[in-house]
Amino acid sequence: MSRLEIDWPDEGAERVRAAEGRLRVAGEALARRHFDERLAAVAGVLEDWTGADSPWRRELAAALPEETPFAAPTIAEGLESALRAWHPSDFIACAEREIAGACVDGRRALVPFDWTTVIAGGALPMPTLLQSLLPLVVGSPVLLRETRKDPVTARLLARSLAERDEGLAAAFEPIAFPSDDAVALDAALAAPCVVATGADETLASIADRLRPTQRFVGYGHRFSIGVLGPALGEADMADVASGLALDVARWDQSGCLSPVFVYLVGWDGQDARRFATVLDRALEDVAKTSPRGDLPMDQSVSIAQERSEARMRTAAGSGMLFEGAQHTLVLEPDARPRPAPLGRFLRLLLIDSVDALMRALQPFSGQLSNVCVAGFEAPTGPGPADGLSPAPSTEGTFDARPADSSFFAALSRMGVSRVTKPGSLQTPPIDWPHDGLPLFLPLARFTDPFVAGRRLV
Amino acid sequence: MSDRPEPDRAARDEIERTLLDWMEEDAPATDPERFERLALALFRFQFAACPAYARLCLSLDRTPDEVERVEEIPPVPTGAFKEFALRCFPEADTAKIFRTSGTSVDRRGELHLDTLVLYEASLLASLRRSFLPGLVGSAPEMRFLAPSPEEAPDSSLTHMFEILRRAEGDPASGYDLRDGHLDLAALEHAADRARRDDRPLVIAGTSFAFVHFLDDPKTEGEGRWQLPVGSRVMETGGFKGRSRSVPRDVLRSDIARRFGIDERAVVNQYGMTELGSQFYDSTLVDPDGPRRKQGPPWARVRFVDPESGLDVAPGEVGMIVIHDLANTGSIAAIQTADLGRAIRDEAGHEIGFDVIGREEGAEARGCSIATDVMLEASRQEAGP
Repeated sequence: MSRLEIDWPDEGAERVRAAEGRLRVAGEALARRHFDERLAAVAGVLEDWTGADSPWRRELAAALPEETPFAAPTIAEGLESALRAWHPSDFIACAEREIAGACVDGRRALVPFDWTTVIAGGALPMPTLLQSLLPLVVGSPVLLRETRKDPVTARLLARSLAERDEGLAAAFEPIAFPSDDAVALDAALAAPCVVATGADETLASIADRLRPTQRFVGYGHRFSIGVLGPALGEADMADVASGLALDVARWDQSGCLSPVFVYLVGWDGQDARRFATVLDRALEDVAKTSPRGDLPMDQSVSIAQERSEARMRTAAGSGMLFEGAQHTLVLEPDARPRPAPLGRFLRLLLIDSVDALMRALQPFSGQLSNVCVAGFEAPTGPGPADGLSPAPSTEGTFDARPADSSFFAALSRMGVSRVTKPGSLQTPPIDWPHDGLPLFLPLARFTDPFVAGRRLV
Repeated sequence: MSDRPEPDRAARDEIERTLLDWMEEDAPATDPERFERLALALFRFQFAACPAYARLCLSLDRTPDEVERVEEIPPVPTGAFKEFALRCFPEADTAKIFRTSGTSVDRRGELHLDTLVLYEASLLASLRRSFLPGLVGSAPEMRFLAPSPEEAPDSSLTHMFEILRRAEGDPASGYDLRDGHLDLAALEHAADRARRDDRPLVIAGTSFAFVHFLDDPKTEGEGRWQLPVGSRVMETGGFKGRSRSVPRDVLRSDIARRFGIDERAVVNQYGMTELGSQFYDSTLVDPDGPRRKQGPPWARVRFVDPESGLDVAPGEVGMIVIHDLANTGSIAAIQTADLGRAIRDEAGHEIGFDVIGREEGAEARGCSIATDVMLEASRQEAGP
C-alpha cells in the first residue's frame, strides 16, 4: 500500500501566525496591567530562577547536557554562578530607572509594542532567559524563536511563567522552525519589535528583512579580554590565575564574555613565564571540576593548527606553549593578533604599555565586550569615564585599575561595555549594558500624551 | 643546532632529478615504494637545510635518524608560512616568492622558491591529466577569471594560470579580471568565438569570481554563454571572509547551467599557496565514477586525528595532512586547516578524497569567532 505524503510548506509560518494571534490577545491584557505589577510579576519569575536551590535552574542543568556540547558539571557551575549573580532587586531598580524614570514627570507614556519577536542565538541559556523576560516588563508579549542549539531553556521558562502568573505565560510562546524556513522567519519578523542575537551576517540578514518602521535590537558577536598590569604581585598571581581559568572554562569559552587574549602590560619575560606556569596549573585544576565538553572536529583542527604554530615559535625560542588535556595556553612574544580557536585556548600577549595596548586593540574596536583587569595601581585621579562603570554595585569592589582613568575612557570608546576583575567575566550583573545598550529602553516605545496641555493617554 | 647535519645539496638535486623523471612519464603512476624513499630522503635534506623546521622536529624528537615512515615526518601548519621563512636554500638564491593574502594586521604566508622547474612541472602534469583530458596539444582558448601576472605578480594561482596558458593555451587566451572587475565583454567575445569556430573554451578562476559572474544581471540571457562540447571550467578557492558564500554543489550546477555544459565538465581545484602540487575533481578523468579529489602520485594526502596526529580509520573524517614532494625547496609535509575523508572503491582501494566544508563548525563556535572574523576582514580590506 502506498503512503500518502502531503507537503505543507507553510507549516512553520502557520504556527507563527497562530502564535501571533494568541500573543496579540494576551498582549492586550498584559498592556492593561500597571507597569509596577508587570515588573513585580516578572521579577518574581526571575526570583524563581535565581534563588538558592532553584528547581528551575536544577531542571535546566539536568536537561542541557543532553542537548548541548557542554559537560554536565560545567553547565551546572555556569548556571549557578551566572544566575546567582542576577539579583531581582537590580532588575527592578533598573526597570524603574529606565522606564518609570523616563515617564516620571508624566510627560511621556509607555506604549508597548503589540508583540516582540526574539530570535535566540547560541547555546548559552542566559541570553535566552533574559531576552524573553525583558519585553514582558514593558508590556509586549514575546514570540521566542528557539536556537537549535538549545531547545530546552525557553520551554522551561514557559513552564515557570505558567506556574507564577497565567497572564505572563499567555504572553510568551517559544517556537522552533528550521533555519531554512524563510516563510516562517518572515512571519516571525513581522513583529513591530524584533530582538536578535547572532553573527554580524545573521543580524544584517535579519535587518534586511525588516521595514524601517520596525524596531530592531541586535546583539552581535563579541569577545572579551583580560588586561594584567605590572603591579600584580607574586602573592596575587594564584588568585588572578584561578579567576582567569574559571572565566575560560565557563561555557568552554564559547560566549561573548569569554576571554580569548590576556594582555600582560609592562611585564618582563621571567614574570610572564612564571605567571603562565601558574595559569596553566589553574586551567588544569578547573578542568577537574568543570571538564570541557566535546569539541566539533573543525574546532579540534583549529586548535591543532594553532598549537602547531605555537610549537614552532616555542622551538624557535619565542614564547611558550602549554598543552593540557583540555586546554591550551600560549605565552606569545608579542601582541600580534592571532586566531582564537576557543575550546579553552588562551593566549597571553606581552605588551609594553597601556598606550601600546590601545593601539593593539584598535583593530578590534566594536568587537570587544568585557574586560577583566588586575595588577594596576589604584587610581589617584578622577573616576572612570562616564558610561563605563568598573564597579557595579553587586559585583563587589574592584580596585585594580590603571591610575589614569583615560584607560577606561579609551576602552569604552572601543565599545567595551563592562570592566571587572578576573573570575567575574562570565557572571555580569543583570543590569550590565549588553553591547552598550540599556536593558529595557531599546524594547520600549513612548508617546507624548499631552495635546494642548491635556493628557490623552 | 649542533645536532643538525649540513644540508646536502647534491641529495636534493638527485631527488629533483628523480621527481622530474616521474613527472615527465606519460602516465605518472602511484608508486608507494618510490614515494616513501624520496619522502624520507627529502625529509633528511629539509631537516638539515631549514633551521625553523629542524627545531620543530627536534622538539618532537622526530629527526631523520629516528623517522622511518612518511607518517612520522612532522608536518608544518600552513600558518607557519606567515611567521617563518621556510626555505631550504640561502636567501640570496630566492627566485620567486608566492604570497597568500594578508594585511598589516595579519602577516601573509610566503612560499619561497629557488627554482620554478619542479614547481611548474608538477602543476602542468596535474593540469594536463586532470583538467585537460582530450585537449592537450590542441591549444584551446583559455579565459582566466583572475588577475593577470602583471597585476598579481606574487599570486601562485595567477602564476599557475600563466604557466597553463603558455604551455597549452591559444595565443588569444587572457585574463578577464582587472582591478577587481570582471571584463564581461572579453569573456563574451571568447564564448562567441568558441561557438563560431566550434572549439572548446577553457575557463578557470577563483570561486568568488564565478559567484560575481553568476550574480551579475548583465550576464543573464538565454544561450549567450552556451559553450561548445569539450569546454570546461575550473574554479578554486573558498569564501572565507567573503560577504557571500555559495555551497560548492550549487556553484557547480549554476556554472554548468550558465555555460550549457555538463556538470562533470566543472571541476574544483583544491590547492594552496604553500603547496607545489594541486588536487582536482576527478570528473573529467573518470566521468562515471564518484566525484572526488585526485592528485599527482608525488603528493600523498593523509587524514589524521587532530589531537593525536595519527591517521584516522579508513573512511573517517580527519585533518588533512599533505606530503608534497614537489616542495623540495620548502617543506614537504604540510598540516592544513581542512577536514577530509578518503574515498575508496568497492575493492577497498583508495581512489581519491573529499574535502569537507567547515562552515557549520565555524557557526558553532559562537561569539568569540569575532576575532577570526576581524582578522579575516582586515585581510580582505587590504587584499587585491
